[in-house]
Amino acid sequence: MGLKRYTARRIAWAGVVAGVILTITFVLLDLAPDAQLAQVQFQAAASGGSAEAAAEAYARRRGLEGPLWERYLDYLGNLATGDWGWSDTRSQPVSEAILTALPYSLMYTVPAVVASTVLGVAIGLYSAFNQYTKTDYAATFVAFFGISVPNFWFGIVLLLVFAVHLGWVPVLFDAELARTRPFSLANARQLVLPVFVLGTSAIAGTMRYTRAEALEYVRATFVKTARAKGVSERRILTRHVLRPTLVPLSTILVGDLLGVVLSASYLVEVVFGIPGLGRLSLEAIRRQDTALVLGTTLVPVFVAVIGNLLQDLAYAVLDPRIDYGDR
Amino acid sequence: MPSGTNLDDLGSTPRGRSRRSFLSLLGLGGAASLAGCGSSGTDASASTEGSPDGDGVDDRPDYVEGTATGTRTLNFLSVDDEPSLNRVQLALDGPYAVTPEQEIFPLWADMSTDEGRVYTVELRDGLEWGAGYGPMTADDWIYTITEVFQADPNWAGFPNAGQWRQNGEPIPVEKTGPRSFEIRLQSVDPAFPLRPVMWGQPCMPKALIERYRPDEDQEGLQQDEDVQTLAYAGNLGPYRFERWNRESEFVAVRNDEYYLREADDVPEAWRDAPYFDSYTYEVVPEESTRLSALRTGELTATDVPETRVEQFEDRDDIDVKVFPQAYMTSLIYNQRANGSFYEALREPSVRRALAHAVDKRAIVDEILRGYGNVAHTFQPTFSKWYADGEVTEYGVGDAYSHERAREFLESGLDATPYRYDGERVVDDDGEQVTLKLVFAQGSQSVRTTAQLVAQEYDAVGLDVELTGKEYATLVEHHLYNGWQGDDDPPWNAGPYNGGPRDGSLSQEPWDLILGVTFNTYPRTPSSIRGFTVERGGTNFYGYVPETDFASLFERATSTVDDAERRETLSEIFGALSAEQPFNFLNMGVEIVGYDSAVRGPEEVFGYTWDRNTWRLGTP
Repeated sequence: MGLKRYTARRIAWAGVVAGVILTITFVLLDLAPDAQLAQVQFQAAASGGSAEAAAEAYARRRGLEGPLWERYLDYLGNLATGDWGWSDTRSQPVSEAILTALPYSLMYTVPAVVASTVLGVAIGLYSAFNQYTKTDYAATFVAFFGISVPNFWFGIVLLLVFAVHLGWVPVLFDAELARTRPFSLANARQLVLPVFVLGTSAIAGTMRYTRAEALEYVRATFVKTARAKGVSERRILTRHVLRPTLVPLSTILVGDLLGVVLSASYLVEVVFGIPGLGRLSLEAIRRQDTALVLGTTLVPVFVAVIGNLLQDLAYAVLDPRIDYGDR
Repeated sequence: MPSGTNLDDLGSTPRGRSRRSFLSLLGLGGAASLAGCGSSGTDASASTEGSPDGDGVDDRPDYVEGTATGTRTLNFLSVDDEPSLNRVQLALDGPYAVTPEQEIFPLWADMSTDEGRVYTVELRDGLEWGAGYGPMTADDWIYTITEVFQADPNWAGFPNAGQWRQNGEPIPVEKTGPRSFEIRLQSVDPAFPLRPVMWGQPCMPKALIERYRPDEDQEGLQQDEDVQTLAYAGNLGPYRFERWNRESEFVAVRNDEYYLREADDVPEAWRDAPYFDSYTYEVVPEESTRLSALRTGELTATDVPETRVEQFEDRDDIDVKVFPQAYMTSLIYNQRANGSFYEALREPSVRRALAHAVDKRAIVDEILRGYGNVAHTFQPTFSKWYADGEVTEYGVGDAYSHERAREFLESGLDATPYRYDGERVVDDDGEQVTLKLVFAQGSQSVRTTAQLVAQEYDAVGLDVELTGKEYATLVEHHLYNGWQGDDDPPWNAGPYNGGPRDGSLSQEPWDLILGVTFNTYPRTPSSIRGFTVERGGTNFYGYVPETDFASLFERATSTVDDAERRETLSEIFGALSAEQPFNFLNMGVEIVGYDSAVRGPEEVFGYTWDRNTWRLGTP
C-alpha cells in the first residue's frame, strides 16, 4: 500500500513539474524574437505593402492570434482532452509528428543503449577484475576516446571513410526504407554508423562507472569469503559483484538514456539526416512552432519523471534493504 | 534580406565562367533540343536506359536535390518560404514563367496588355484539376483572387495579399470569358507581369475554397486532405505528389497527364517534360553530409559553399555552377539619432569618404574567394537597367585609398561635431569616436568582412567595436524602430521606419550593420523605392536623400516607354552611387554542385525557370 501511495504521489508531482515546464516554455517562446516574422514583414515593406497586415496574416497562419494567456489556456484545454495541437511548421497534428519521429529515434537509440549498456557493464566488470593489466588499459583508452571524441565530428569522419571512400554504407538515411522495412538488412546497414557513434559515447560512461563501482566490491570481505568458500568466479562476478554494482549504476543508466535521447541524438540525427525526435524538437525550436515545442518537451519530461520513478523502484528490487513502505 | 521569392532576374556570366548557349524558345527563335539521356555512372542516373537522344524514353532517372531545410506546408496560400514554394511548384506550374531575357513564357496562361494598365489573362484549354474539381476556369481565378488574395480580413493568412492591392484598394479583376479575365490596374505598370503577383502564383479550385470561405476557416483549409496532398493539382504540373516524409524527403513522380503534352505552342523539350521519373527534395541538415552524398552520387544536386568549391573542381562526375543572384550585401550606416556618429553619417560627403576606406575587391576575392561581384549601386551589373556611365565607383582601384578617405573625411566632418585630433577622429569632447558594428551571426564570411571593415576604419582613425547577434535578435534590437515621443509621429511607415529619423529610434543603438542583405529587384527595379525614400517601409537606417527619388520613381513606373524608363533608372542608380545611403559592397552568387550528367542549368540569373526540361545526358 505504501509503495502504491509513494508511486501515486510521485506521478502527481510529475504532473506539477510538467505544468511548470510547459508554462515556462510557452512564455519563453512567445518572448523570443521571430526571424520568420521579421522576414515576412520586411518583404511586405520592401514590396510597398503593409508590414502590419503581413504580421497579422502571419499570426493567423501560425495560430498566434489573441493574447498570450488566451492561447495558453486554449492549449491547456486541448491538452486535457488529448489534443496536443497542430504543428504549423509540419502541417500535421503534434501527436502524429511525435509518433512519426519516435520510431526513427528508437531505431538507433535502442540498439545503441542496449549495446552500450551490455558491453559497458561487461567491459567495466572485466576491467575491475583485471585492474592495471594491458586489457584494462586498452578498455580505459576506449572509454576515454568515446567520452572525448565529439559525436558530431566522429559521425562526419565515419561517413567520409565508410560511406564515401569505402562505399559500405549509404550517406543518406532513407526514411521511407526505415518506415516500410524497419527490420531489413538495408535498414540495418544505414543504421550501423549512427548506432556506433551513439554507442561509443554511451559505452564509455557505463564502462568507467561499472569499473569504479565494481572495484569497491572486488576486494570486499564478502567476496573474499565467497571465494574462500569455493564459489566459482562466474558466480562471484554475477551475484556478489554485479548485483551491488547495479544499484548506483541504475541511476547512471537513466541519466545515460536521457542524455542519449536529449542531447546526443540531436547531433547524430543532424549529421546522419535521421528525422527522429531530436531533429523534430530542434526544428520546432528553431522555427518557433509552439505546439510542437511543447509536445516535444513533454516527451523528455515524461522520460525523466517516469525513468526516475522506475529507477527508485528498481533500487528496492536490487537492494532489499531499501523500502518505500514508510514514505 | 531575402525577398522570399525566387522569381527574379536576368543575369550574365560571373567572372571567367563559360556560358553555354541558351535554349531557344519556340516563338522566340525556334526550339533547340538538349542532350539526350544517358548514364552518368551515378546512383542518380543509374536507372537511365533511354535512347541517347532522349526521345521515347521509358525508363527515366530520378532527380534528387539535397536541401538543408524541409517544407512547412503544401498549402500555397500559407507559403512564405522558398523551400515550400519550390515543392508546390513541382505540381502546380503557375500561369507563366519568365525567361532570363525577361520574356513571358506561357504555361497555364498567357498574359497580354495594350497600354500596360489592363492585363488580359487567357487560360490554356485542357487544364484539369484533380480530385474531381473539373476544368480550370476563369471562375476559379476570380474567386481565388477576390475571396482569398484580396479578402478583408485576410482569413486565409495569405502572405502575398499586399501585392493584390494598389493604394490600399483591391486590384479589380473581371471575367471576360469562360477561360479569360482582366486585371485592371489603377495606373500603368509595364513591369506588372514581372512582379510576383500573377507570376508564379498558383490557384485553387473554387469548389475547394468555397468549403471554408463562409466560415473563414483557415485551419480547416490548412488541414484539408486535398490541400495537404496537392490532390487538386490534376494535370497542372510536371509532377504529381507521391509522399512527404516531414524533415526527410518530399517525393513527386512524373505526371503522365501533364497538360503541356498536348500543347503545340511550346518547344519540343517542354512537350516531353519532365525527363525524370521522380523529383525528390532530400532534407539533409548537415552541410558536409550533403556534400558527401553529392560525391557518392546519392544526390543529383545540392548547394556548395564557396569554401568547399575547390574540393569539387577536379572531379569529372560533378559540375559546379555559379549563378548570379540579386541579393546585395551592404555596410549599412545608422543615420537615426541613436547612433554615436549619426551627425556625420547623415552627410553624403562623409559616407563617400568612408566608401573610399573599404576595399571591396579584397572582400570579394579574399573573403568570398571570388564567388561574388563588387557592387556600386542598388543594382547588379548584369541588370539591363544598370548604367555604367552614371554609376560612381568607390572602394576599388584609385577610389580605394586610406589617404583619400582620410582627406575627404576631414573636410566632410567640418559640418559635424567631429574632427581629427592627430590620427584619430574625436567628438566635440575630444573623445575617440568608436563605432558599434553589429553583424548577423552564422556566416563566417560576414564575420570576416566585419573584421576587415574594423581594420579599414581603424586606418582612417575610427575605432570599431564588433558585436555579433542572431539574425532575429539583430532585427528586433536594431532594425525595428519606433517613435519615442509622447505625441503621435508625423508619419509612420511601419515597424522598420516608425517615423522621422530624429524621433523614431531602434531599441538599442548602433552605427553600422553587416549581414542584412537586400534584394535589388533587377527585373522590377522600381521595387527598391522603399529603400531610397525617407518614408520608405524598409528605410530602417534613417536615410534622407538629397535627390528627389520619389519623383524619379514615379516617372519610371508611369511610362511604358523603355528608353524613358532606362534613362530615369540610370539617373536613380547614378544618384544612389553618389549619395551612398550605405556602402554597396557586393552581389551574392548561388553555387550549386550537379551530377555532371545534368543538362540544362545555365549560369544566368533566374536559371530555374525551365527546370522541367533539364535531363541527364552524356558528358
